[in-house]
Amino acid sequence: MRDVTLAIAGSGGDGVITAGDFIVQAAARKGLNAFMLKSYGPQIRGGESSARIRISDRPIYSQGDFVDFLVVFSWKDFARFSDEIKLRKGAVVLYDEADSTPPEEFPIAAELGAELIAVPFKKMAAEEIKVPLTKNMVALGVIAALLHLPLDGIKDAVMKKFGKRKPEAAQVNIEAIDLGKGWVEKNLPDGTQIVLEAEGTGEPKLVMTGDDAVAYGALHAGVKVFAGYPITPASPILEFLSKWLPHFGGAVVQTEDEIAAITYAIGASWAGKQAMTASSGPGVALKLEALGLAAIAEIPLVVVNVQRVGPSTGIPSKSEQADLFQAVGGTPGDVPRVVLAPSDVEDNFQVAIEAFYIAEKYQIPVVILSDQFLGERSETIDPDVLFARKRVIARQLAKPSDLKEYKRYKLTDTGVSPMTVPGMKGGQYITSGLEHYEDGRPTSSGTMHQIMSEKRARKLPLIAEESGFVRVYGDEDAELAVLAWGSSKGAVREAVERARAEGIKVKAIVPQLIYPVPEKKLDAALKGVKRAVVVELSFGAQFYRFLRAYYDGLPKETYSYARSGANPLLVSEVLEAIKEHAGAMNAPQEA
Amino acid sequence: MEPVKLTAKDYKTSVPIVWCPGCGDFGVLNAMQQAAAELAIPPENLMVVSGIGCSSRIAGYVNAFGFNTIHGRALPIASGAKLARPEMTVWAAGGDGDGYSIGTNHFVHTIRRNADITYIVMDNNIYGLTKGQVSPTTPHGDYTKSTPLGNPDRPLNPLALALELGATYIAQGFSGNVKHLRDLIVKGTQHKGFAFINVKSPCVTFRGRQEFNVVREHGVYLDESHDPSSWEKAHEVTQWKEKIPLGVIYHVHGVPTLDEIARDLQHKAEEQGHVETSKDLLEIFG
Repeated sequence: MRDVTLAIAGSGGDGVITAGDFIVQAAARKGLNAFMLKSYGPQIRGGESSARIRISDRPIYSQGDFVDFLVVFSWKDFARFSDEIKLRKGAVVLYDEADSTPPEEFPIAAELGAELIAVPFKKMAAEEIKVPLTKNMVALGVIAALLHLPLDGIKDAVMKKFGKRKPEAAQVNIEAIDLGKGWVEKNLPDGTQIVLEAEGTGEPKLVMTGDDAVAYGALHAGVKVFAGYPITPASPILEFLSKWLPHFGGAVVQTEDEIAAITYAIGASWAGKQAMTASSGPGVALKLEALGLAAIAEIPLVVVNVQRVGPSTGIPSKSEQADLFQAVGGTPGDVPRVVLAPSDVEDNFQVAIEAFYIAEKYQIPVVILSDQFLGERSETIDPDVLFARKRVIARQLAKPSDLKEYKRYKLTDTGVSPMTVPGMKGGQYITSGLEHYEDGRPTSSGTMHQIMSEKRARKLPLIAEESGFVRVYGDEDAELAVLAWGSSKGAVREAVERARAEGIKVKAIVPQLIYPVPEKKLDAALKGVKRAVVVELSFGAQFYRFLRAYYDGLPKETYSYARSGANPLLVSEVLEAIKEHAGAMNAPQEA
Repeated sequence: MEPVKLTAKDYKTSVPIVWCPGCGDFGVLNAMQQAAAELAIPPENLMVVSGIGCSSRIAGYVNAFGFNTIHGRALPIASGAKLARPEMTVWAAGGDGDGYSIGTNHFVHTIRRNADITYIVMDNNIYGLTKGQVSPTTPHGDYTKSTPLGNPDRPLNPLALALELGATYIAQGFSGNVKHLRDLIVKGTQHKGFAFINVKSPCVTFRGRQEFNVVREHGVYLDESHDPSSWEKAHEVTQWKEKIPLGVIYHVHGVPTLDEIARDLQHKAEEQGHVETSKDLLEIFG
């Protein structure tokens, strides 16, 4: 197989994620593509966790619907993932022989015809390595040997993690890997039916999570102050910047609450430094009043929302696309803002740069709508593509000529007025959350409010024009289109390719800029499309309804495929939707 | 370069003042403008951040980078500004509702981080802008529009709270004594760290003119017999029941400030390894 999906399921202490990380890094070193999705229960320690890794020499767009190769440390833990881990027919399943579940109770359907292999992971780790915790490494050796994964790459990754700090740990882990490999040579000399037959390019790739990518992109864009409050699944952004921003003369504050986080960022940006905050839906909800302040005071600001399942606490560790309405409209008043949606890990990096570009150029708050599925997954990335985009800009300051009778909110054709920062003589002004005149003085005048509302709104079409990046995949002249946003892109793109392979003419349309709607670019993408289906992970079909409300160019025949999140979007369900609509289009018209 | 002579006038703005005639906040505004002049802070290097309330309008009345923000959030916005531009002078201002009710969480944590800003609270014991509801410092039993049967709650003691939280400069002023208040603001601005000044600033409309007399009658100016470096002495003063302490109640030096700590962390990071450009970070993803 050139495209293998494997999953490892166990308890929190089993080192499932660590093993997965090593596999992904090994693949990256060989120049293969890899994609890892972590999944875990609510417990901090000891709860169930799973790593799902897909490896291929072809581009990988999604987590893979079906698992080809499964490693189970505990059947009880695996049962909790039965919703997410669907086995392919004829899959190979390795399980710990010490597990107490009798074979007749294995939560695997007999008709799948899985090849079940008992392996003494625990026993080997305990008796031969004398370190029971190394059972994940024993498993890694077994997996690598059976799947033909690059063993040297795995060892390199282990050395990189432990080599310098804990050389003895590195040694023990490598022994455990070799033990697993030896077990396969002795007990399964003919291997199994599933083998990865993919050669990497040999050019090493990077491995990044979406949260790290958005933080790294912000750092590259010049963020100087970051303020955040811990929340799943956005905390890794806070952690990444806490580690690295001080290296670049910046500062990170873990604030007392979500409101303090956004207001620290607003204060820093008003003072002249690029600033950002990040959270998830519930935290962003608390920030919304301040988002309106940034909008009316026209202060550049970037807010990341790594969406999770809601409402309220929902399912904090899982993904959903249901904060779209919040991002677009969840603030009191008419608040001009920009909403960008990254669609994969690399895009998280690019969108962070774009967000700062728009925020600084147009003096407007920008919301980045990532989600758990993007934020916490790892992907291999080609290092060359990261820095291809050259859209890094600094604060756009008022010119000396602007400072004569300086008007911070001067009415202009673009809606963008000259901005000063402290220290600029003659540049001082009053700003506020109050409606104001051109010089910032507060006013209760309805006429002025109308004029200023128009001024602020003038920026939006310019942003849509300049930044309205819309991705189109598939048949350009297709009459059937799938519209998707954010992390749904992966499964949708793969489904479109599979549909085309089956002879269906179809394309996928994925805007990076959600709001303001990039109308012209969407018009172009939808040209000739007679039927569209809007695919999303929102029970309330927020994207479908959003497009209906904010965009006039949808084909008359536009349908919704929407369901609640938590379980990632599957290629097969999108493919089914495509087939259904393609079939309906070709059906003879009733008289 | 010849030092520029600045007077209080240089800190006036053309923004029309909306306070009621006789409002205590006029005294605070005068004191702030005089303090800025005495400290000779160029207006472009002064940032005045306020929240929401009658008193928070003050950000518009001082010639500076003024920011009249949202309810309760003056302190984190001022802290963020100071963190971004430590070379600037940052003042935060607001009322008792803004600072001790909706913004209490930030009051606590700004003290904890010792952000190098001066926080002037115009404490009038009432919500004035919303026209007369009970505030966190309204005395127990007082009748207000929202306590028609008398205030059921006991008032909060902001001085004692700040002291307990580890504030490094705690003072109390009176808007009826501009000169004294000006000196407290000058000292607070010169203090390296969070300078907290609670100002008795009566609301003539909803609490009445006699409030000025209450402060005049019960106010006690702290003299040399009070040692502001003593926590115990300061604690005693914050617990006065009838008398109202006026002056510097507590003042200690040498506690690292928010922006100093940020710089320390930058040095620490540099010691761990120099990173020249963001592209150099790529190796951590290898």
